[in-house]
Amino acid sequence: MLPKFDILTDEQINKIHKNSLKILQEIGVEFSYDPAIEVFKKHGQRVEGHRVFLDPDFVENMVEKAPAQFTLHARNPEHNLVCGGENVIYMPGYGAPFVYDADGGKRDATMADYDNFVKLAGASKNIHMTGGTVVEPTDVSDDIRHLKMAYSHIINSDKCFMGSSSGYEFARDAIELTALLHGGLDVIKEKPALICLINSVTPLKYDDRMLGGLMAYAEAGQPMVIASLVMAGSTGPATMAGALSLQNAEVLAGITLTQCINPGTPVVYGSTSAVTDMSTGSLSIGNPENALFTSASAQFSRFYGVPCRGGGGLTDAKTVDAQAGYESMMVLFAASTTGVNFVLHTAGILQYYMAMSYEKFMVDDEIAGMVLRYLKGFDTESDEKMAYDVIETVGPGGHFLTQKHTRKNFKTEFYRPALSDRQSFDGWSKDSLDTNQRAKLKWQEVLANYTPPELDPAVKEKIEAFIEKRSKELMK
Amino acid sequence: MNPIFEEIKDAIVDGDEDLAIELAERVVAEKIDPVQAVQLGFIKGIEEVGAAWTSGEAFLPDVMMAADAMKAGMDVLEEVLAAGEGEGAYEDKGKIVLGTVEGDIHDIGKNIVGALLTSAGFKVYDIGIDQKAEEFVAKADEVGAKIIAASALLTTTMKSQKVLVEYLDDNNLRDKYKIIIGGGPTSAKWGEDIGADGWAETADEAVELCKQLLG
Repeated sequence: MLPKFDILTDEQINKIHKNSLKILQEIGVEFSYDPAIEVFKKHGQRVEGHRVFLDPDFVENMVEKAPAQFTLHARNPEHNLVCGGENVIYMPGYGAPFVYDADGGKRDATMADYDNFVKLAGASKNIHMTGGTVVEPTDVSDDIRHLKMAYSHIINSDKCFMGSSSGYEFARDAIELTALLHGGLDVIKEKPALICLINSVTPLKYDDRMLGGLMAYAEAGQPMVIASLVMAGSTGPATMAGALSLQNAEVLAGITLTQCINPGTPVVYGSTSAVTDMSTGSLSIGNPENALFTSASAQFSRFYGVPCRGGGGLTDAKTVDAQAGYESMMVLFAASTTGVNFVLHTAGILQYYMAMSYEKFMVDDEIAGMVLRYLKGFDTESDEKMAYDVIETVGPGGHFLTQKHTRKNFKTEFYRPALSDRQSFDGWSKDSLDTNQRAKLKWQEVLANYTPPELDPAVKEKIEAFIEKRSKELMK
Repeated sequence: MNPIFEEIKDAIVDGDEDLAIELAERVVAEKIDPVQAVQLGFIKGIEEVGAAWTSGEAFLPDVMMAADAMKAGMDVLEEVLAAGEGEGAYEDKGKIVLGTVEGDIHDIGKNIVGALLTSAGFKVYDIGIDQKAEEFVAKADEVGAKIIAASALLTTTMKSQKVLVEYLDDNNLRDKYKIIIGGGPTSAKWGEDIGADGWAETADEAVELCKQLLG
């Protein structure tokens, strides 16, 4: 693995850290959920109404309790993932309500799309887990959507996945389903198997829904991403240092709460901060500022000793075009080379998280493969890899194409593109397909050839019975 | 022309809320014609900002701060205007009640829409975030608004827009107001599904929509 590089000096880290602690101590954070307020009171923090003012030493002590890394368990242990250290975990986009089609069409996302994106993630060798809320399936009532989504991840793949964080009750459902899959609540407490996304409401708020989710996961000892999305210029200051300080304060407040509830609960420091487009007010994510926030967040995570979530195949483009490609590569590359561990939104996102696209998923899958290869760097461990002997054998002039050494090594040393076109002009011009068109053919082929790994029928039955029971209760 | 009108215009263009209030207070204290102050000062200023916005020279902070300054100054003049002081009369282009629906606490998009509507000459009554259907209607009734504009950012709160339309149906108020909706996860189709009178994706489109509905 390549060494991860820093973008902030120690002095800059300290200055921003102090700024964040001052925000927490003097301005405070609003927690709308009463049980969370009780937790802070019990820990001796100053509370006024729903606003909590956090003591700097207390924050530092609490954050220190969170583990530097943890293992997320999959139903197939081959897909267990270590989150933290040098590792990087890729997964699909999260939360988009729309699907944009290859021909430029826009439509509401459905449960069928949901299953498809889970399958594409399951089939990919570059995408390590199947994510969560891979689209918002708006054709399913939101009373039971969380159950259907969890079922899709369980049934369509044996990789790790994310669960609902939409309030205490729904979060409990996702945790119980995961427990059924792994053999009980005490099993997953020992070996965490479900992770969720908790977002602050910037600036400086956490809402009921997210706090309910946070408390359910913390109690069950399941990991959480605690994330802040500062839109610099609108929900946060227009300066990079100010926006980063604000994000950092929010994430620290969330992590502090998790550690108050259950010390040692695995958490991931999350950032999706980016900028506001000052002509429309829209979030804009495919830019150097987002890449900078992402890299700075990775460095802050190292500073606090927790894993980091950030970045992704992020773009503001509405279709799979050059903009989609160059923006996504910039943000994913920055995230991966500066130490982000958990990359939500690696594949499929268009238009600042508003849409998923099948074609974009395949493009991002390719980008992910390229970046993963880059991260492996140079292997200089053996004489074989240094290749002196074969250079001697061929000597001046000559070529290496017919050497055993070449045949043996090129497959592991070179990344082989799945989507990019490397043909001659004549070869390419037989069909003249652009990336968007090739990606469409590719995902259709992948889906047609994918067989979900079989799930133990006894487990499947229990899970289906639970979903049926809960659906009846929730649809009343 | 009284030089204070030019000062008011500049205060609006600069988005200087404090100065706009101070100048409006001077208009009242010195018994300067309030209708002229509005037309030659406040409206001139906001029109200038609106034109700069349309041509891409002004950005959101410019427009939003100008709209805030305008609202603050106009509030000071409200009493003398209502009393019919001054030559002629001042009329806005239409009244709009704006808010974020029940269960949703996001307000930036709504605020942008409010500012652009203000800069386009509409009188906007922003009732804030997490507002029940009743609150929208009560305000619209109080001020005589023709349009109710409801924002939602989450897929989980969009249904409150539907609740709002249903509330109007249930109370036989559907013909009295035009309901328009917007927000990240909403769409033209969602607007049609719930029976709204209009949907806009961006703040600029919301302004166009209101012009059409009141035109």
